[in-house]
Amino acid sequence: MTEYSHLGKQLAVELHGITKRFPGVIANHDVELLVRAGTIHAIVGENGAGKSTLMKTLYGMHQPDEGTITVNGNPAQFKTPTDAIAAGIGMVHQHFMLADNLTITENIILGDEPVDSRGRINFKEARARIESLMTSLGATFNPDTNVSELGVGQRQRVEILKVLYRGAKILILDEPTAVLVPQEVDELFTTLKRLVAEGATVIFISHKLDEVLTYCDEITVIRQGTTVARTTPSQVDRRSLAELMVGSDLPDPSGRETKVGDDVRLQVTGLNLAGDIAGAKLALEDINVAVHSGEIVGIAGVEGNGQFELCESILGLRTILSGSISVCGHELSHTETRDRINMGLSYIPFDRHREGLLLDAPLWENTFLGREENSSLTNGPFISRSKIEADCRSIINRFGVLTPSEQVPAFALSGGNQQKLVVGREMVSDPKILLAAHPTRGVDVGAQAAIWDELRHARDKGLGVLLISADLEELIGLSDRILVMFDGRVTAQLDPATATPEMLGTYMTGEVQGDAR
Amino acid sequence: MKFFKSLTTGQRTIALSLGFMLVLSIVRLFTNADDITSSGTISSTLRVATPILLAGLAGVWAERVGIVNIGIEGMMIIGTWFGGYGAWKWGSWAGIALAIVAGSLIGLLHALATVRFNVNHVVSGIAINILAAGTTEYLSIIFFKGQKGGGESQSPAGKGGYGEFDMPFLSGGRIGSWRSPDILGWIEQKHDLPLIPDLAGLLRGLVSDIYIPTIVAISLVPLTAFILWRTRFGLRVRSSGESPQAGESLGVPINRLRYQAMAISGGLAAFGGAYLSCVFTSTYRQGQTGGQGYIGLATTIFGNWTPFGVFRGSILFGFPSALKFRDEKNVPALLLVIAVILIALGIVSAMKNKQMLTMGLFIGAAVSAATYFLVDEVPQEFVAATPYIVTILVLAGAQQQLRPPAHAGIAYRAGENH
Repeated sequence: MTEYSHLGKQLAVELHGITKRFPGVIANHDVELLVRAGTIHAIVGENGAGKSTLMKTLYGMHQPDEGTITVNGNPAQFKTPTDAIAAGIGMVHQHFMLADNLTITENIILGDEPVDSRGRINFKEARARIESLMTSLGATFNPDTNVSELGVGQRQRVEILKVLYRGAKILILDEPTAVLVPQEVDELFTTLKRLVAEGATVIFISHKLDEVLTYCDEITVIRQGTTVARTTPSQVDRRSLAELMVGSDLPDPSGRETKVGDDVRLQVTGLNLAGDIAGAKLALEDINVAVHSGEIVGIAGVEGNGQFELCESILGLRTILSGSISVCGHELSHTETRDRINMGLSYIPFDRHREGLLLDAPLWENTFLGREENSSLTNGPFISRSKIEADCRSIINRFGVLTPSEQVPAFALSGGNQQKLVVGREMVSDPKILLAAHPTRGVDVGAQAAIWDELRHARDKGLGVLLISADLEELIGLSDRILVMFDGRVTAQLDPATATPEMLGTYMTGEVQGDAR
Repeated sequence: MKFFKSLTTGQRTIALSLGFMLVLSIVRLFTNADDITSSGTISSTLRVATPILLAGLAGVWAERVGIVNIGIEGMMIIGTWFGGYGAWKWGSWAGIALAIVAGSLIGLLHALATVRFNVNHVVSGIAINILAAGTTEYLSIIFFKGQKGGGESQSPAGKGGYGEFDMPFLSGGRIGSWRSPDILGWIEQKHDLPLIPDLAGLLRGLVSDIYIPTIVAISLVPLTAFILWRTRFGLRVRSSGESPQAGESLGVPINRLRYQAMAISGGLAAFGGAYLSCVFTSTYRQGQTGGQGYIGLATTIFGNWTPFGVFRGSILFGFPSALKFRDEKNVPALLLVIAVILIALGIVSAMKNKQMLTMGLFIGAAVSAATYFLVDEVPQEFVAATPYIVTILVLAGAQQQLRPPAHAGIAYRAGENH
């Protein structure tokens, strides 16, 4: 363990012996964190390791049960975020805290509005301050537009502006890159470096090891609620860092032997889908996709370019304009979703909170969802709770879902564990074809490896997978072919053996359009 | 169309209003139903619209802060009772004041249930409606039964006195004891001209026979807009309805704001109720609100959660009601008005190439027009239902373009953000 104080640079944040308990769980125990001023400091760890809990403690969203917080050399006790803000700490949350229907300006000044003597908001002054901050951040947008009109990268910039507007010198970013494409990640770190050069300190939470190693100055590793190592990018490589996080040796991700089958499991031909507004351009235009047994076909694309609509069309949730969809040779353009699922179609949805889970329902109800007609889980017309619970427990064990029991509500699980539960549910019914949308989004390396293993294993047994992902490494690593979607069309087909993330990125933004057979 | 799109919002409103007046004017010339644009109808429209306007503003305040307020009807009922009681004891202004205080307390009760105890907003609202109806009945038995003019279901007559208000010169108002000429009234009588007497009627309706509480209520429209969009308090209220997590993470006291806005909402709804029991009439009667709280909530939605939108919605509802109140013979003319408007909408939708919609609109227009020519006398029940039918039609049409506060009605507990 290295002490940084002798390096001469002042410590911006010091946490000693932080312990935080929640009913039934110890989220953090005995955490030691030292962050030097003027650095980008990464905190890495698996999902549920306690990174976010720790940062919420530092930001005053809850109080630690034990331990001390020192900011810029002064002991601090934060009862609310307001106290932390006053001490110069700002936090950019993982889920953006923005009100869509308010303007950028309104979102930024909220809670700290410049007002005149009559209580009126001085929008002129607000705008002047925001514009000067925008210049230093290198952001270009009209602060009077509604946040609802902004893309993900821009929203993040608004979040950072919010923090800077309050005079924060210490920025906490909770998994800021989870939602960004590679180009946006680059821009984000350019911005952060600029801020650091101007005297800010950045605490960066992530489980994406490449970014951490490329961009950060120092690294603290958290495992199972406590800090296990402090290091720098020059001292570790990707693999050793991952092992520090997981606490054990990792399975080797490489080494796959593909045996693509001959029979076509999913065939989409000439698919057209009308846009949301009548008369507007098509949401999907002439989509042709075939997935064979034992094949993983990756779909790359910036979110909102038709991937979601494609999945919903295949599932029968949208009425298509023309074209045909067939599973294992059965034409099903005009069948109901239920029949399509019975035919062997399975779906890991884009947003596990909106479509994948009933957050307030217990896990066993969640794993039963969509499998109501499975006779091994029912007693005639009645559901069999004992069978379902046993089935749920087997999913929990097989997919390594961390949970006290199958009776807890889904919202009590961390995001990664929720995702494992959803993946497990969709995989246990032995589907013929799996639509997997972001199967490892927001999932730590350990769980990610487990999900990848399951996917590969099922593929080797003949499962056809349509894999939609924003994680380009995942696409390249898993897919047998990669299709790029842009603007509702398939614009390119690439061979993962030769494709690189940068190359995919250029196709995804529509700069280049290739051969799309 | 391009020209129309180039106009500012204000100019569009004026253009649309003028267009609507023109339609009314044509129908008036055609049917000789002079009353449909008379100043009497207009001022009567304002009177009928005021309680709905106040209920709608109550809805705006509640939903903008993130709480669905189905209980507006109940809050209005509380307002009618306390308005009636206050007017009987001390006079009508006291009645209104008492009603606002009582309504604020009921608003706080709704906030307590939904914010502190996380009761489903609709459940709590319905509970308030039932509670209000029962409580007022009970209070009436205690306080009004056996009093002169009072009974189990109505209060003794209130002490009146708001003085109606006429503008000098424009509508013959008095200056001291001298009665000024009634210029607009004179123009309004020139029934043979198109448009001009209609506009005069509109203007005169706005400045004659107006109750001061009506003026107060209407001035609450720009006041609400100003507070919600130009002040710190208003921005925080809106943030609470859009994303309370965002506000909370920046130190905005979401729960306190919700109590405050609900007190305002309850006060406004009760003001609307008191308007019924001490301005529109001078006694409290059981069942006086007659569902106007729900109509008010509908105008909140129709008005896209903005105060000016609510104002438009309340006028839209008030106009057929006023026609009905003044003379039921006017209602058939309304059918023709509907027919003309449907044709206009049909042409617009035809230009946008929406065939199904266009067809529906033209069929509707044909049915309305045919009904007008074929039926001599509209059945009483239909007349009574007209305002409600119009409201439903407009709401159905407006639905698609509406944007409610993103977090209205969703349970929220401070410190949780899953």
